[in-house]
Amino acid sequence: MAIKPEEALRAIAAVRGDAICVPTMTTAPAWRTIAPDDLSVTCVGFMGGASSLGLGLALARPDRRVLVFDGDGSLLMQLGSVATIAGAAPRNLIHFVFKNAVYHTSGAQEIPGGRQVDFVTVARGAGYRDALAIETLDELRGRLPALLSAEGPVLVELHTTLAEQTPMTAPGAPFRQQVEALREKLAGV
Amino acid sequence: MPESIPASLVIETLKDTFREARGARPADPLGWILSVPDTHQKSVLAALDKERALRVLTCATEDEANAIAAGLYIGGEPYVLMIQHAGLYASVNTLRGVAMDGRVPVLYLIGLLGREKEKDPRESRHSMVRFCEPLLDTFAVPHARLEGPNDVHRIPEYYRLAQQRRGPAALLVGLETG
Repeated sequence: MAIKPEEALRAIAAVRGDAICVPTMTTAPAWRTIAPDDLSVTCVGFMGGASSLGLGLALARPDRRVLVFDGDGSLLMQLGSVATIAGAAPRNLIHFVFKNAVYHTSGAQEIPGGRQVDFVTVARGAGYRDALAIETLDELRGRLPALLSAEGPVLVELHTTLAEQTPMTAPGAPFRQQVEALREKLAGV
Repeated sequence: MPESIPASLVIETLKDTFREARGARPADPLGWILSVPDTHQKSVLAALDKERALRVLTCATEDEANAIAAGLYIGGEPYVLMIQHAGLYASVNTLRGVAMDGRVPVLYLIGLLGREKEKDPRESRHSMVRFCEPLLDTFAVPHARLEGPNDVHRIPEYYRLAQQRRGPAALLVGLETG
């Protein structure tokens, strides 16, 4: 049974500690509700950039975990970032891909290749230290503690349903505000 | 007439620029070079292979380089992007989203591959050379040319400009570095 993205995010929020989080697209509205005052920055305004934004954070702050909440359509827009991340090999980066097989924000058109696109194979082939697919909430809950202490980069393909909201129905703060807010928080901790 | 700039001069200037940016904070690496390899600056990239103080991260696309820059900025690390004019055209949306709307300071070192030594770039017969400055003008990105060794002072100058205005700034490398 596919996982509701909101439930996956709640499960991650419960165990993430002080990890920096990078949601994008359909994970963004729910994450704002689940973790409203937090060490997070949403990739918004430059399509497909969540994984690279997360990589920059992971390289700048090797003392912290960085969790990217990517989308399958988003990652396809900058799929080369998987190779760039593998090459940089940040030990503190966990790359979640919320796989719903559609571009939900623009009207749920199917992504190229639909559900058959296998991001686990892509990540392994590129050179991530580990990659796995998770299809149920129970499995995610069971694996999260080990995942959050694993040596990265690790890609986790989460098989999900559609989110309840999209950035079109629930827009958040502009990227520039989020950048400065997180920069200030990180400078002070 | 433009002259070639020695790679060692570019690298030492980048190191000085990053030292100034960091102030008293010691760091390893001193700064980051986010590169989508540029033919015009290949001697700099080759020399950077032996340089321990700077870390080069080769990116698959310029879009990635811009987004990685945002992450480094949030984390307090200094960086520059080394790309080619074709990469500037390829990544305009990310330049807009990250450096302009996101107000992330980004200094771009952009190689003008194909630039004719005897012609002003705006009069080049190559569209990739000819449209580079007009494109930057369209987006109100401040830019200058690196036309020889006497111009390297523009690297720290434009780095500081990007920081001060919290946005993009660009330097156009006119000839292949030496």
